[in-house]
Amino acid sequence: MMVSKRTLFIVNISLGLLLTLLLLTFFEVKLPTLGQAQYLLDKEEPLCAVSWKEEFTVWDDLDRCCLEARKQLECRREQQGDFDWACSTGAGMKYWLNSKAYNYCRQQPYW
Amino acid sequence: MKKKKRMNVQKKVFYLLLILVILLGALNILKARGLFIPEQPLVYFTAKVIDLDSLTLEQKIAQMVIVAGAKENYWPWKNMQLGGIHLFARQNEHIFNNTIIDFQNEMPIPFFVTADLEGCVSPFGFIREFTAASEVNTTEQAFEKGIDEGKFLQKLGFNLNFAPVVDLDDDIWKCRTFPGDEHRIAELAEAYIVGLQAEGVIGTAKHYPGKTLVVKDPHKFVVQAEIGKNDVYPYEYLLDQGEVKAIMVSHIITSGEIVSEGVPSVASKKVVDDLRKDFDGLIITDEIHMLGLKRFYLTVDEMYVGVFKAGNDIVLNFDNNPNEIYRMIQVVKAAVERGEIPETQIDASVKRILEAKGFTVIS
Repeated sequence: MMVSKRTLFIVNISLGLLLTLLLLTFFEVKLPTLGQAQYLLDKEEPLCAVSWKEEFTVWDDLDRCCLEARKQLECRREQQGDFDWACSTGAGMKYWLNSKAYNYCRQQPYW
Repeated sequence: MKKKKRMNVQKKVFYLLLILVILLGALNILKARGLFIPEQPLVYFTAKVIDLDSLTLEQKIAQMVIVAGAKENYWPWKNMQLGGIHLFARQNEHIFNNTIIDFQNEMPIPFFVTADLEGCVSPFGFIREFTAASEVNTTEQAFEKGIDEGKFLQKLGFNLNFAPVVDLDDDIWKCRTFPGDEHRIAELAEAYIVGLQAEGVIGTAKHYPGKTLVVKDPHKFVVQAEIGKNDVYPYEYLLDQGEVKAIMVSHIITSGEIVSEGVPSVASKKVVDDLRKDFDGLIITDEIHMLGLKRFYLTVDEMYVGVFKAGNDIVLNFDNNPNEIYRMIQVVKAAVERGEIPETQIDASVKRILEAKGFTVIS
């Protein structure tokens, strides 16, 4: 298969960049991720709430909320008021997060 | 001719880069899976009698760590011979059971297998419902709840439950605490623990010294609370009765009846030492990746040393990265080697852990 010199040059540059990224990852040099940028650019306040039966309580402790949400079986998109995500296991307790909070949670080491 | 030569060089560079990318990609995958973490030496014992001196310092520290029991970290957790795994929600009993069997298989010292089964808070929502603590009114009901949950957990292979909550109020979930005043809560918690432990599952009173489920956190990072006599009463009662085998300490900075001296309780030597005076069971940290704790230290390494140095027996670290868990063990090991954490303290914790796992410990 014939590949033009120009194409090969572009492929080599791309491979070089990929190699650099892989080297940085291997030596655990942390680069800001797209998720972090998204979180920082989002000016919305992170929001979390807990619901159980008829009770619905807004919860200020975002870190703990993230951990509890992570313990659930699944998080799926579900719009309710200011909240965009619902994390739950079965029909019981539910943790509600807005997108800002959800993006924050996903960056935590336990997620 | 020159053009052809340059093309050949480009091709050579391409093949070289491609090989390097594939190699480094594979190495990154292996590293992420913790396959570069060295395997710990085998532990030899007979008839469930362990000589503490036969364990390396690394093995001892590893016994003090409980991690999230994700299947993808099956090998590194086993290789490091960690103290326990905490399981989050799964779809059915079969998956829970198989995960636990796989983890426990061929482990010289079995893992603690832990859950947060409190009633309304439960990782088993897809399997069945449990009575919420707030719906329990009599000691008989609390005992039955303990028996029921203990049987269920034991059948699946769990041996340590992070319940009951003995905080006096729950303003957030409104279902995690027993009803009534501190005396009633203490009695109900005692009955629950007796029931749970009768089925072979250790109960954990949490979150010492109280006020964890009511504190609002306006600054998001530092949580403080004034602890009253009534907050501590359930712990005093449970310690008097002598049934409670584990207590979980929170990250709250406390004043009043329990003074953490401006440090999160879990990292306060004073709080843990005072608790230890009347309690020879397991003292367990709450999960350590909370900003209330993290922001208290300049570096994560300082936090690792801080929670071990405080005298906790078991540290909950649910970081998914096995290399980070291994690094934590190395950081704590270095702190022990330079005398910042006494090895006798590590030995005492490991002895408690091994005894709770059913071993006789000699040294």
